[in-house]
Amino acid sequence: MTHTTTQITSPPKPSEILLHLGPQHPLQPGPFLLDLKIEGETIREAELKIGYIHKGMEKVFEDRTYIQILPLTDRICYLASNSNNDVYCRGMEELLGIEPTDRAKYLRVLTNELCRIQSHLLGIGEYTTDVGFLTMFIYMVREREGIVSLLEAITGSRLNHNYARFGGVAHDLPPGYKEMALKTLGELKKLVKSHDEMLSSDSVYLKRTKGVGVLTASQAKELGVAGPPLRATGVEYDLRRVEPYLVYDDLDFDVITQTDGDVFSRVKVRLLEILESIYIIEQVLDQMPTGPYKQNVMPYITRPAPGEVYSRIEDPRGEMGMYIISDGSDKPYRFRIRGPAFATAQALPPLLVGTYVADVAAIAASMDSCTSEVDR
Amino acid sequence: MVDENADNEMVDGTRDIIEPPKIDRTIMVALSETFKDGVFDVDVPLPNRAVARIDPGRVKPIMQFLLDNGFDHLSCISGVDHPPDKMEVVYHVTSYSGPLVIALKASIPRDDPKIDSLCDIYWNANWYERETYELFGIIFNDCPYLKVLLLPEDMEGEWPLRKDYAGYPNPT
Amino acid sequence: MGIFVDIYDAIMNFLIFFFSTWELAPWVRGIVGGAVIGGVFGGALVMVYLERKFLGDIQSRIGPNRVGGRFGLLQLIADAVKLFTKEDIIPANADKWLFIGAPIVALTSGFLMVAVIPFDLLVIKGNEYALAVSTMDVSILYLEAVSALAIFGIFMAGWGSGSKYSLLAGFRNIAKMIGYEVPLGITIISVAVMAHSLDIVEIVKAQSSIWFIIAQPMGFVVFGIALLADVGRIPFDQTEAEEELIAGWATEYSGMRWGLAFFAEYFHAVVGAIVVSLIFLGGWNGLPLIGNLWIPGIFWVIVKAIFVMMGMIWVRGALPRLRIDQVSDIGWKVLIPLAMLNLVWSTIIGLMWA
Repeated sequence: MTHTTTQITSPPKPSEILLHLGPQHPLQPGPFLLDLKIEGETIREAELKIGYIHKGMEKVFEDRTYIQILPLTDRICYLASNSNNDVYCRGMEELLGIEPTDRAKYLRVLTNELCRIQSHLLGIGEYTTDVGFLTMFIYMVREREGIVSLLEAITGSRLNHNYARFGGVAHDLPPGYKEMALKTLGELKKLVKSHDEMLSSDSVYLKRTKGVGVLTASQAKELGVAGPPLRATGVEYDLRRVEPYLVYDDLDFDVITQTDGDVFSRVKVRLLEILESIYIIEQVLDQMPTGPYKQNVMPYITRPAPGEVYSRIEDPRGEMGMYIISDGSDKPYRFRIRGPAFATAQALPPLLVGTYVADVAAIAASMDSCTSEVDR
Repeated sequence: MVDENADNEMVDGTRDIIEPPKIDRTIMVALSETFKDGVFDVDVPLPNRAVARIDPGRVKPIMQFLLDNGFDHLSCISGVDHPPDKMEVVYHVTSYSGPLVIALKASIPRDDPKIDSLCDIYWNANWYERETYELFGIIFNDCPYLKVLLLPEDMEGEWPLRKDYAGYPNPT
Repeated sequence: MGIFVDIYDAIMNFLIFFFSTWELAPWVRGIVGGAVIGGVFGGALVMVYLERKFLGDIQSRIGPNRVGGRFGLLQLIADAVKLFTKEDIIPANADKWLFIGAPIVALTSGFLMVAVIPFDLLVIKGNEYALAVSTMDVSILYLEAVSALAIFGIFMAGWGSGSKYSLLAGFRNIAKMIGYEVPLGITIISVAVMAHSLDIVEIVKAQSSIWFIIAQPMGFVVFGIALLADVGRIPFDQTEAEEELIAGWATEYSGMRWGLAFFAEYFHAVVGAIVVSLIFLGGWNGLPLIGNLWIPGIFWVIVKAIFVMMGMIWVRGALPRLRIDQVSDIGWKVLIPLAMLNLVWSTIIGLMWA
């Protein structure tokens, strides 16, 4: 694996053809170009070309005030918008030297976990449709609907939540939220368990996924992936546990791992993480302290002292980091976004070499990449 | 007695091999001791964060040292432009077994921005280096495939994240 | 109920008497054949509608519900209008005649299959008349042979499109069908051995006491799986895998040309369902032990075929797609040995019956 390059090195021989998957292709969550050199159905070399929806966010952020950046962080990846808000606000809180209120910490954990659930549900759904199992996709989207509604009840929007603030959150919980959430999550728990059972017992599905796209722990570390693809190899690396932020060290949860590192394990990790997130949310709703949910004074113009911060968080897809350099003005001097999907996307071509064309869809979708975040 | 001692020694010996290197800020002391003139301005602003400046010419041995000491995850490579005379490459190195993130900054001259590639040491440095190259024009020596990654190919040479970038499509 | 059978028999009696004496009978027979094709075409329409609604139920959605009332009855008409009004594109890289010919070959194969399918058997004054466009001694072999033509249609499309996705789909189709026509053929032979005839009418008649699904259940399973592969439905739709090959051999087709290709598939599925109902489910023989219940045989055939179609749709809703190498594995390593075993079994049983 060490010497596997990520590009196609030579033109195809007469027995090989160059297959372009993309930039528009049904398997993809967004536009990217996956060039495959194939011989028969076997992939000899693969190259991923990205940048089709490059938005130049890092440049744009240098020209916006800190408050203006906040809603834009949603747009890095619409499935993880809450995590992106949160990682930005945590970075800013470090720069500004303020601490979020207790209730805000719990609210952020709550929304982050809801966000993780809906992202995983859609990720599994996209994945199952890529192995030709449309039914599960529609089930997953149906289940996701309830979670999105829960998020909407707190944040006021369904996709781009824009919920976290420097030192707090935007809104408090609506009345009667706990009962509503527990009801929805209780149903979801049952459904996810039954889907897990269905996916673990379907022989055709097992044939398609067991032993496909295997990453070992050392390979995964070498490729630099994090999140569910890494945990599926047996590495207990979860920033919620490694570097507990917000109130995660007060909460009881397990880091879900699987040992095989194949496509099946990655999906299994996501399914079990949904259950674990539900468990976290139940604790959060029980332990939610009363008190203010935001700082008393929230200035519109924020001028942090010169300095820099690298804040990171466990995104649904792995390690989301932001590196913010302040020069004392109201705009960041440099804003670097280190997305988890970027790392997993880079690890995709070496995984594909030697597999079949039909497995491309399964492997690519099991990494749960988000093109919007890869390109930024 | 003799046998027990032998057993203990063996256990100790194996434990030394199995036990992972400690992922904490002592690495910064070791780093500055090993590379006396290569690492300077060491700072630990937060319990899980460490910052240091490094000599750009010795980035490869420093990274190799970190990798050997358990820092097996290159989190990010960022470029920072400091006109008029210098640029910085910031490496965020961390570990899969601990929370410490080390930010290593290498200052390079702005008119000749060149630094060694880390692709031999960290496999995933490739895309980060390509991205830094296309956005800042920093050339990574020996990077196996230094081409534009995110930008369209005709924007190679624009270096849009430099502070003096005038805008596209009006490069004049 | 008896009165309906009487009326039905009287009409058929008249038609058969009329056509067997009239000198223009061959022409009329052709027209009747056209009508039967139209009927099966209608069956394919029913299957498309059924697929949308039934699959929608499985996937907990509603399915078509706007065009033509709340049940979306006219959705297919709307789709046809859409397909007819779309631009017909022949890619510059395509091999034009292969590209144009492919859907025609595929559909023709379906039409030719219909010719020998009997829908009922009428006994009039001691003579037996099969309700089929054409009767022949080896109709089941003919059916098998003609259905294989569709493979050429798909490969023509794959090769002629000048697209790599289509080409891969064409290769996949050939690789798949070489493995699956064999168990299909062996199963058909074991059915024929048990019925002592290669004529579908005789095969159905042999099932008057016991259906072949009961006499050789393994044969039914093998035939069912091979048929799913033959008509290219999930889990065997590798040739048009949407997420891998972007509809595979149909990638480059547009407008009504695509509609024809699409329809050829459903046409094959419907004919396949009818064939299953004829050679395994007793055809027009009604239910075993209970009998016909005074319902004309043609309705039994149709009802059984609809059940088979719903089974196909159900499988589609319940299973993911297999990979092409796994498909070939199943074909060569599982289905062919099982089909051979079934042939031995049916030979023994068939000899004992005889």
